[in-house]
Amino acid sequence: MASSHRLNRRSWFSWAKKDTKMHNDEATFWLSQFIGKNLRVHASDGRIFGGQMKCTDKDRNIILALAHEYRAPAAEIIRKAIEESGNPSASVPWNSRYVGLVVVPGQHITKIEFEESTLPGQKSAITL
Amino acid sequence: MADPLIDHNTASDPVLNNVAPYVAPISSHVHASGSNAQATTSADLPLRQSLRRSQSAYEPRVHDITEKFTRASNALDVGQLVKDDYFTLFESIGAIEIMDSKMDSGFLNPGETLEDDYDTLTPLLPEEIIGIMDQLLCYEMAWHTGYPLSQTLFTSVYIDKLLWPEVKILEQAQFYRGTIPDEKRPGPLLQALRAYCLALIKGCDFVIAKITSRDYFEEEDFCTHIYNRVLFMEIPMDVFLRELDAAMEVMKDTDLQINDALRSSIISRLALRKDLLRALDIDLPLEHISYSWPPIHTGIQKLKATHQLGQTVPGSFSTKMQRRLASTVPPRPIVELEFVDALEKLQYLATDCEEATRFVKLPQDPLEYQSFLWSFASRSPAPLSYARSYLATLLFHPGVLESAISLPLLDVKALVFPASSPVLDPSNWTYSPPRNALLSKPPRLEYAMLIDDFADRCGQPYMDLWIALGQNRCRLRRMLTHVIAGWDILQSDASLADETIASASAALGVAEQVFENPLSSWAYHKKLWMLEKILLLGFELDVYLPDEFAGQYLFLSLIATRRRDLLFKIEAHYNKYLSSLVQARNFPDAQDVEDALPYISSLVLNATGTAALSLALARFYIVLLYLRLVPVPARPFSSEQLRYEVRMKPFLGFQPPEVPPFEDFAEHVKPYGAYTSPNPGFDADIGNSESEIWTAIEDALKSAKEAFARVKKLGAQAARAEGVKGVWGKDVQARLASCVAAGVAVAGVKDAVLKRGEEGLGVRVEIPESGEGKRYAEGWVVGRVVKE
Repeated sequence: MASSHRLNRRSWFSWAKKDTKMHNDEATFWLSQFIGKNLRVHASDGRIFGGQMKCTDKDRNIILALAHEYRAPAAEIIRKAIEESGNPSASVPWNSRYVGLVVVPGQHITKIEFEESTLPGQKSAITL
Repeated sequence: MADPLIDHNTASDPVLNNVAPYVAPISSHVHASGSNAQATTSADLPLRQSLRRSQSAYEPRVHDITEKFTRASNALDVGQLVKDDYFTLFESIGAIEIMDSKMDSGFLNPGETLEDDYDTLTPLLPEEIIGIMDQLLCYEMAWHTGYPLSQTLFTSVYIDKLLWPEVKILEQAQFYRGTIPDEKRPGPLLQALRAYCLALIKGCDFVIAKITSRDYFEEEDFCTHIYNRVLFMEIPMDVFLRELDAAMEVMKDTDLQINDALRSSIISRLALRKDLLRALDIDLPLEHISYSWPPIHTGIQKLKATHQLGQTVPGSFSTKMQRRLASTVPPRPIVELEFVDALEKLQYLATDCEEATRFVKLPQDPLEYQSFLWSFASRSPAPLSYARSYLATLLFHPGVLESAISLPLLDVKALVFPASSPVLDPSNWTYSPPRNALLSKPPRLEYAMLIDDFADRCGQPYMDLWIALGQNRCRLRRMLTHVIAGWDILQSDASLADETIASASAALGVAEQVFENPLSSWAYHKKLWMLEKILLLGFELDVYLPDEFAGQYLFLSLIATRRRDLLFKIEAHYNKYLSSLVQARNFPDAQDVEDALPYISSLVLNATGTAALSLALARFYIVLLYLRLVPVPARPFSSEQLRYEVRMKPFLGFQPPEVPPFEDFAEHVKPYGAYTSPNPGFDADIGNSESEIWTAIEDALKSAKEAFARVKKLGAQAARAEGVKGVWGKDVQARLASCVAAGVAVAGVKDAVLKRGEEGLGVRVEIPESGEGKRYAEGWVVGRVVKE
């Protein structure tokens, strides 16, 4: 928490925004916080993989353990559900399945999300 | 108004327990049940706070870290990994690469859709129904041979529809979910297909239940993975039978306009499915099992005759189904098994299971059981996993093994305690121990306690042996090498018990009537028997290379000779005991002992024959090695001694030692020095038809033939293989045939050697391959001499 305060404070300065190049030590430290934590990795074909991060490298390849694959329902199915229920906001479940240990190659990653699983009031140990 | 989140229990700790996602329904609930006014007044402000917090606990906060993650990973060095310390490179190899079409089963090519637009409600032709049913049967049998469901049955769109989304009651398991308009409802043909599929799925559930219920099974033979689908485990079988009956009724209905040939072939498929489901039932009572398999055979014949009526339906099976299954493996193609082969597999399955049901009717005798297990494991083609589990379930069925006397003890009795032996006298169990523990126990009580202890002690090794006998041939050999180690320990434990038996017998003055070291002799005999089987299985499974045959047969001969000598001692004891009984004019007991003698004689002759035949073959292969008629591969990286050690490794720790020292062994295998440069004595001996090198082989063959012929004459009853008489007879016959074949081969080589001219022997030796019916007996490899 303390370091995030510092970052926030630094964000007052205009030069802090431009500092896009990270130092290797800093990057290693920052990335290693996510080891064993739940990440949601969006792949370029729209699927989302949720699982524990095990490993990453310079090419942003990410290895997830105990991963599940989530896939948005096809447009066809959504249309059908809406037609059948008559409700334009009818809910259609995503397809999910267990896929285990996967590696998502860096070039296919469109978005990475961190799923924070702290209890309310508990301080997060992770610097975002 | 009462605070919406107040509840009696949460008053004490509202922060943690309030979990409502939104307010309105809860507040109405609270109103209805009457809220706790005290709590309401005491906590106004803090509870509002807690509401906000509790919501955030249930919605995990998700942060987008893409940008910073990208920057951070860019800052890493080439080759630098940020990883879990316990995550190894080895593990990472198992990761599936996403977006790689070869590995990622969820990968879609551009324009490809996740699912085929195959509509399971489209009416089908009767021909197509037959086609789909037959294809399902093919996949079912492919699954039985070891392929996973994901590559076989679960590729069916119809099966998938029935299983997913999961249903709670069978009525909901349809080719659709929810409600559909009446005109779209499946017709009678689709209903028949549904009943067929349901019964098929339930059958798979039974198969998995049977196989996994065994103490020992391995995934390498059979894949029990069900990919997070539930195969109607909870639903009882009669529901499925009813579905099948109803479908058959519908099919028989004359209102249904359909060609009669097609009608009857669909009905016969449903009927076969019904018979099969009944046979697979895990709760079928023992008295019915023998009737459950024969109907399958008639069903198979009908299917065979009508298969050509069927028509395949493209799209009704698809590899894309794998994308919907929980899968940690790359996508794999559908396994194709021809219909003819599938029927053949089903036929074997039914025959093997039918054979297994005979186990229940065997006389209650562990030796009969052992013969049965051995012959079942030797069946060719090898029984499928299911059939083996089927037998194993019967073997350990409480209704089968119900026995007043411990089964291992019956085995001991048959070998070393002839009838009315004082050690097993029932009156021994009537003594009670002396009140004063310091006083010595009466010797008869000593007997009883020792025997009880021993029966307990050998339970586990005995069970291990039986479990091993229930495996396929390769695993049987591997497991026996472990089981035998347990028997080695049992033997040394037994020798301690034997000392006490000896002192008790001396105290009673009946030492003459008790065989010396009975229990350890019994364990030793069993151990040697297993050792012989391990070696013979080695030949059968082509573990040994042709140039090792000489050494391994020599070792086998050594072991069999030891067993024979032990049996000779036992036989002598029997005869002595018998004559003493006759002298004492105790004719009933004498008769009992005499009745037990054929078993011993059969064992003696078997051991004699095995020892002689293996000796003959060992010598024969030694001659072939000297004559360079056996291929010797180049082995630049090992020495003969090391190879010998590796071969003998499972047996090196035995007490008494069974494996001769290498020098000893080498001397016997190479009587004339190195094979490449034999000493001059060899040429002289080999050229002389009367020399020992030839006569020893011929004599050994002759005595082997004689011994096996006498085994045959004594019959299956004496060998305690009455339950598998036919197989046993064939086995003995095969050994006799091996003796004859060996005689012919030896004569062929001898002839060639005696007549050899300048250009060499003019013959070569072919080693018949295993498992192709080219050997008379799989464990006895007799090279065939062919003129060049």
